[in-house]
Amino acid sequence: MQNLLNGIPLWWYLVVSAALFCIGLYAVLARKNAIALLMGVELMLNAANINLLAFWRYLTPASSGGLAFAAFVLVIAAAEAAVGLALIVSVYRITRSIDPEKLDQMKL
Amino acid sequence: MTNSEIMTIHQALFIVMALAVLGSAIFVVTTSNLFRAALMLILTFFGIAGLFVLLDIGLFAVAQVLIYIGAISILIIFAVMLTRGMQGMVPRNSQAVAAAVTAGIIFAVLLLLFGPFRVTVDVARWPVFSLFAGNASPRDVGGIAWTPPNQPIPAMPETYIADFGRSLVDGNQYLLPFLLIAFLVDVVLAGAIFIARQRRPAEIIEDRRRQAEEAAEEAEAMRQAGMTPDVAPLPEGAVASTAEH
Repeated sequence: MQNLLNGIPLWWYLVVSAALFCIGLYAVLARKNAIALLMGVELMLNAANINLLAFWRYLTPASSGGLAFAAFVLVIAAAEAAVGLALIVSVYRITRSIDPEKLDQMKL
Repeated sequence: MTNSEIMTIHQALFIVMALAVLGSAIFVVTTSNLFRAALMLILTFFGIAGLFVLLDIGLFAVAQVLIYIGAISILIIFAVMLTRGMQGMVPRNSQAVAAAVTAGIIFAVLLLLFGPFRVTVDVARWPVFSLFAGNASPRDVGGIAWTPPNQPIPAMPETYIADFGRSLVDGNQYLLPFLLIAFLVDVVLAGAIFIARQRRPAEIIEDRRRQAEEAAEEAEAMRQAGMTPDVAPLPEGAVASTAEH
């Protein structure tokens, strides 16, 4: 029998975050739009955050390591979204397209 | 659950939140309307904030609402609206089936490792499985490597927010990562503004004119240097004039 917090075992969180991660992975691999691709990355980062916080709460709530790393993930996600969307808007102005497959000007 | 006479309110809330998160996430990655995808992404973030509440971490639920819903979603919606005309295109590329299969396989493996299931595997035949679960019995793999020690969940200190704040400015804990990440955000904001800066047409024309002038100047200097190779300072002067801009 597993330990429960609020009646919920840890593996519920892990399964939800694994599913969320795989949905985000599918978006990153299969979408034809750079903005949708960034949304997939956001979903994956959120899945990582759920995992970090769930493990922290269930195993080591006395230290603040899990919270610190989850906060760093949050900040890096915000920075990644800002730079990624700026790049997409800038690319769209030049090429009138944000299909990642069409952005091959730098190919040798 | 094994002893599920009746579901507690927390379990019911968790299931509602999880279904909201996963359902809206699937909608986000399958719809061809990007604007609706962005709106459903907000619902996903909100459900995740609900999961944090169920974990008793109110601080991160609030941070999730402020940063993801308040900032990142708005940023994404602005980007969607700035790249109008990209709507209604085919939502997925030719590798969509392979991508779905890959994601499904990864999910199955994660479910095997983290989920409640036990699968019997003959480690003698596939020794690679002993990498995942070193402490597993020889024929039993799955849900073992991560199983928490059989102790009650430690109580969360009342002052966890204060502890967290202190650990960020404690030189023995996370001061250096905190400073680095502050620097990263600084650089990123400046860089994002620089990359996405809208340039006026007049500015672009002026830029091109200056470039053409510089090229002409350089060509002139090269030509003169070629004609009179004993005059050394002339190319240097040309280089200095290009470096000015």
